[in-house]
Amino acid sequence: MGMVLPVSACAAGAGPAVEQATGRFYAAVAAGQGAAACALLTDAAARSLPEPCATSILDVGLRGGPAEEVAVWGSEAQVRLRGDTVFLHRGADGWRVRGAGCRPGGERPYDCEVSG
Amino acid sequence: MIRRNGLSLFFMVAFALALAGQSFAGLGAYNDDQLGSGGTPVSWGAYVTSADFAVDVAENWQSEYLQFLLYIVVTVWLIQRGSPESKTGDIGDKVRPGSPQWARVGGLRTMLFANSLGLVMGAAFVLSWYAQSVAGTAAYNREQLSRLQDPVTWPEYVTSPDFWDRTLQNWQSEFLAVLSMVALSIYLRQRESPESKPVGAPHEETGTEA
Repeated sequence: MGMVLPVSACAAGAGPAVEQATGRFYAAVAAGQGAAACALLTDAAARSLPEPCATSILDVGLRGGPAEEVAVWGSEAQVRLRGDTVFLHRGADGWRVRGAGCRPGGERPYDCEVSG
Repeated sequence: MIRRNGLSLFFMVAFALALAGQSFAGLGAYNDDQLGSGGTPVSWGAYVTSADFAVDVAENWQSEYLQFLLYIVVTVWLIQRGSPESKTGDIGDKVRPGSPQWARVGGLRTMLFANSLGLVMGAAFVLSWYAQSVAGTAAYNREQLSRLQDPVTWPEYVTSPDFWDRTLQNWQSEFLAVLSMVALSIYLRQRESPESKPVGAPHEETGTEA
């Protein structure tokens, strides 16, 4: 990436780790590696997809693109990509995607193709 | 030594125990919430250094300091007939031998010293309210993101219902407690307590503490 993105947060130091996790997730999807993409989802997000996850995650049609803005607050993060908005959660094993393929819902939560 | 400082020591220990208790109870509630929303439980160390714990602590601190600030400052101008907490007339500075040096020297130092209790309580109120707003922004944004909603800025947070709900629910209870103390102390007594009028004092007697 190389460019410095705006990171809003009290845990701004977590920005690169969040971006890396996001990049690995969309790279796996773009490469058709469904199992690798599913391994980067939270358990709840993986369960929200029809079985098997490795196939259905590729059927969603996720499009990432370059990251434009990162927000990290405690154990939660949001990355705005050119083609998507993604939400991540930090668990014991690092940052995992809890919402992807998300469209803004105004005052309501984002409407996400994958969420959990 | 312990006997001469018993009142301070009692409240210091009570404060430490209550804060420790809050940290464990708060951790339990936080982790219940995390599990319920598909998140991950955290350790005690992670919780007590989190914005969620900080905002819960700060919102109570600011309201307590506001309560004492108002009690100290409003009683300068307003009187409640019959209350031992109300003054009867001009208290004056009453400098005498043994008075603190800053009370005697005059000028800026005496002006500061003469208002130091209100100034320090006021500063503690402002700082803890500000801390509530900063920690509250972080805790609110963590919640927003966990619900797949956008985070907000600090100016947006301090005009949000969450900030004012946390603030006003504390203020109303403090104001009620002060009102109760002012009004009940007119008619009720607590033997040996300096916060009460003497047991034999008439109800209409104002500004006398035991």
